[in-house]
Amino acid sequence: MSIVVDSVSKRFGEFVALDDVSLEVRDGSLTALLGPSGGGKSTLLRVIAGLETPDAGTVEIAGKDATQDPPQRRNVGFVFQHYAAFKHMTVANNVAFGLTIRKRAGRRRLARTARSRADEIDARVDELLKLVHLDGFAHRYPSQLSGGQRQRMALARALAVQPRVLLLDEPFGALDATVRKELRAWLRRLHDEVHVTTVFVTHDQEEAMEVAEQIVVLNEGRIEQVGSPQELYEKPANEFVMGFVGPVSELSGRWIRPHDVDILREPAGGAAEAMIDRIVHLGFEVRVELSLGDGERTWVQTTKAQAEELELSEGEIVWLRPNAPATDALSDEPIPA
Amino acid sequence: MRSRYALRFLALGYLALLLGIPVGLVFANAFQDGISVAWDAVTTPEAQHAFYLTLVMVAVAVPLNTIFGVLAALAIVRQRFRGRALLNAAIDLPFAVSPVVVGLALLLVYGRRDGWVGGWFADQGIQIIFSTPGMILATMFVSLPFVAREVIPVLREIGTEQEQAAATLGAGPLQTFFRVTLPAIRWGVAYGVVLTTARALGEFGAVSVVSGKLSGQTETATLFVENRFQRFDETGAYAASVVLALLAFGTLLAMNLIKPKEAQT
Repeated sequence: MSIVVDSVSKRFGEFVALDDVSLEVRDGSLTALLGPSGGGKSTLLRVIAGLETPDAGTVEIAGKDATQDPPQRRNVGFVFQHYAAFKHMTVANNVAFGLTIRKRAGRRRLARTARSRADEIDARVDELLKLVHLDGFAHRYPSQLSGGQRQRMALARALAVQPRVLLLDEPFGALDATVRKELRAWLRRLHDEVHVTTVFVTHDQEEAMEVAEQIVVLNEGRIEQVGSPQELYEKPANEFVMGFVGPVSELSGRWIRPHDVDILREPAGGAAEAMIDRIVHLGFEVRVELSLGDGERTWVQTTKAQAEELELSEGEIVWLRPNAPATDALSDEPIPA
Repeated sequence: MRSRYALRFLALGYLALLLGIPVGLVFANAFQDGISVAWDAVTTPEAQHAFYLTLVMVAVAVPLNTIFGVLAALAIVRQRFRGRALLNAAIDLPFAVSPVVVGLALLLVYGRRDGWVGGWFADQGIQIIFSTPGMILATMFVSLPFVAREVIPVLREIGTEQEQAAATLGAGPLQTFFRVTLPAIRWGVAYGVVLTTARALGEFGAVSVVSGKLSGQTETATLFVENRFQRFDETGAYAASVVLALLAFGTLLAMNLIKPKEAQT
């Protein structure tokens, strides 16, 4: 279901967490809220879930104003960074929690026997545990699971109630690098299977770009830009976005992506003279650090093959030239005030 | 190696000197004239009534203080309001104030002649001081802090995320409390209940002031022990002490039996 956030503001004492934020999330999409810590992305997610009340503005879920609804009436799935597992319950009971709550909340009028309802819940829990690859762990306790397994359990628990939207707050933030990578790919596949409107918070631009269809960049309580990963990378709205979504190097006072610079052995029109200070081999990628004529330092990203072809070595003089129109990304985009 | 043994010796020796030997001597003295003498001493009508009254104190004070303690802990940890610090400090008052003072304070409030509201209660035909209600109030006062003090750190430690997760899964505040919060704090509550029970069983000073000490009427087990002792009925005093000690042991044992064997998660 779609989410519409309209002019939402939220303060914590003197700290402005959200400053007049408006955002639309399409039905069935996978959106990342990206930004530095303290930028307001978690607060925005919690406002959508009803875990925080905005000072001003409204939140609409599936076309209905939900601003005044408590979290238990919003039908959202929420996944916390630190899992928020119910430690005194087995994995199966964690996942079944939302379903058993609903059973009590007046489904009795559907004239089903308690027995068949319980069987239904068991079947649904089995299905979900298979979906998150935790079948066989049903009777364990959360303390007996690894971090990645706990987070998958939390996901199954959130999905169990068939939420209208799924919200994840730094879901992989507490996991180590390999498990993170694995779960990212897995979340992507899961979204393709389940198709629930999903919003997740991250401070990791690579994670946002790899997983999301739409990225919302938040900084100091404001939205800097909304767009696809490619749009943000190639047409950043301002220097903040440019710097946040990818590497930046400076050439003749302009910001540029370090791979959008050609290294020439001969002088040419529009090329700046520079001396190679250092060459860093990172496997396929080679990073060349240089000093420009005016003493300014910069760096260029190139490939192993190119570096070998040019026979670059430290101490040599070369010429640098921007090689793509996209290099001047900021010039044709107005910077929002 | 030697220092390790020294440490053990010190700890055990200290415990034996302060606790083991005196309690052991109480047992020895209680049974010095034989078990049947001791048994007779604690089965007189006065003794039975004294134990009954003590159990009434426990039965009223423990549940009420448990409910209050959990609610107070929730308010202190989970809410922000004016007077929160005051509530937090006030809960400790019974630790700081001598039970005798508590007893005298109760006299000032509920005393029939000079008490603040005692006269009004007397007009309604309710006697508080020198009667069971006053003794229950005194017991409740002195055993008030334990549950709250045990639950507050546990509540802080578990944080609010589990409760928020329950809310997003559709649980209302009451469902969240009974299905998530209460199970998470249960060992804190259990330990608080044990301490409250032990305190209520053993309370002497405050109850002594407001009881009037009418044997067979307003005499709890601890007052009975004092009464027997002052009348040179040593067997009666020691035998009743043994029963009190056994009740306390039983409370601790019950706690250990219900505690799960697996490591705390």
